[in-house]
Amino acid sequence: MNEFIRIERLFCSLNKVQVLRNINMTLNSKEFVSIIGPNGSGKTTLGKVITGIIKQDSGEIFIDNKNIKDLSLPEIGRKIGYLFQNPDRQIFASTVYEELSFALKYKKTSIDIIEKRVGEILDIFELNHLRDASTYSLSQGEKQRLAIGAILLNDPEYLILDEPTTGLDPKRKNELSKLLNSLINHVGILLISHDKAFVLKHSDRIIELYDGSLKNDKKN
Amino acid sequence: MTKKIDPRVKLLFVICISSLGLAFTKFSMLLAVFFIGLLISHVLKADLFMLLKRIKIMLYLFVVLVVIQSIFVRSGDSLVNLGGITILTSEGLSRGFAYLMRVLIILISGAIIATCDMRRLIQGLIQMKLPYDFAFMTSIGVKFLPLLMEELKDTLTAIQLRGIDIGKLQLKERIEIISYIFTPVFVGALSKAKKLSLSVECRGFRAFDNRTSILTLKFSPFDYLAITLTFILTATLIITNQYFI
Ligand SMILES: Nc1ncnc2c1ncn2[C@@H]1O[C@H](COP(=O)(O)OP(=O)(O)O)[C@@H](O)[C@H]1O
Ligand SMILES: [Mg+2]
Repeated sequence: MNEFIRIERLFCSLNKVQVLRNINMTLNSKEFVSIIGPNGSGKTTLGKVITGIIKQDSGEIFIDNKNIKDLSLPEIGRKIGYLFQNPDRQIFASTVYEELSFALKYKKTSIDIIEKRVGEILDIFELNHLRDASTYSLSQGEKQRLAIGAILLNDPEYLILDEPTTGLDPKRKNELSKLLNSLINHVGILLISHDKAFVLKHSDRIIELYDGSLKNDKKN
Repeated sequence: MTKKIDPRVKLLFVICISSLGLAFTKFSMLLAVFFIGLLISHVLKADLFMLLKRIKIMLYLFVVLVVIQSIFVRSGDSLVNLGGITILTSEGLSRGFAYLMRVLIILISGAIIATCDMRRLIQGLIQMKLPYDFAFMTSIGVKFLPLLMEELKDTLTAIQLRGIDIGKLQLKERIEIISYIFTPVFVGALSKAKKLSLSVECRGFRAFDNRTSILTLKFSPFDYLAITLTFILTATLIITNQYFI
């Protein structure tokens, strides 16, 4: 396994409150790692710092051996797919189809290829019947699937999923499980969750955060 | 002391300087109003740093405006010629300055209002006979604004994380992206408003025409003094403008 993300002596504060303290870790490509920890332990913040959404106070983060200080948000976004804790935050088009085709359209992909790739995602995520539905009227689970689908269309090498199981019923959770299993040979995944059963089921490695520090990092 | 000044007094002062700023056309008068506003905002400990940052953006606009006024207003002496076309005239310059002063006066007015405690400002508006539903709406608007800004930022981040480099897009595409940024925030704001109105309705908002308040504002002798001074100052400025300059 190759190293994909390396974090060195990371400190981060939000509004002058220190949220992350001295985080050191490496995350490998094609590895399934979970981050667990109580509410407010800094899981979301860690995910956002890795993705460059929040700037750290000190310490270095490398993605694919490139310091994220030298990468722009779009450059990071092409490598890492980030699922916000609240999917409303990342759904901005008015219909499901438009949302999925959004990034491809701006990358000047031809219409045929957009049709084909969006079609695949609609199938996989069972969103076909909602193709022209308004994104604002979707249920939580549908929004979640739409957001993940849109991320996958970017062909990321790594996924950071912030609490993807919240708001999913057991059936949907199962489907997410299946999807993650099908992805695991192609991408690395960092799952942020406090859904113990779900984490135990999928992870190669479980990292525990407590009060902004790493408390545990062990193989599952 | 600044917190204790009645928000209605600040409101009066702001109304005076901004109307004078709009009414005066002579540059020297505008400059006078600007300096008076600056002085008072300093006394009230207004956030002039924010003002400074805005001025920096304004300066570009100012240069553009001066040139446009010079090109289209064909009067005054020509100051700079470029290939036979006059791009700077004395008239254009003075109009541009006047415009800059007016904008600065408005910005100072905003900074002065921002020193008011919002709760007290709204109470002031209610006591000035503004219906309390309007006052309530204003206060909600003020509270939700930072939240909306944060949502805008998040959406912008999400769009960039889709691998889209907004700086590298063509103008037409950039404009499209702006609509993508604003739509979810507006839709979100509407649905928040709907929930809020329902919950407010459930608690009997507007069941009666009047609403008592634990906070009531009373003018202090100092406030009366400030009001008098504001009126005297305004009158002096108007008279100076009319008869002496
Ligand atoms: N914008 C913010 N300003 C100040 N503190 C924040 C902000 N966002 C989160 N926090 C604080 O940072 C800590 C970590 O938050 P977060 O990373 O969201 O935790 P988790 O995702 O593990 O629940 C919490 O104590 C939270 O209150
Ligand atoms: Mg979180």
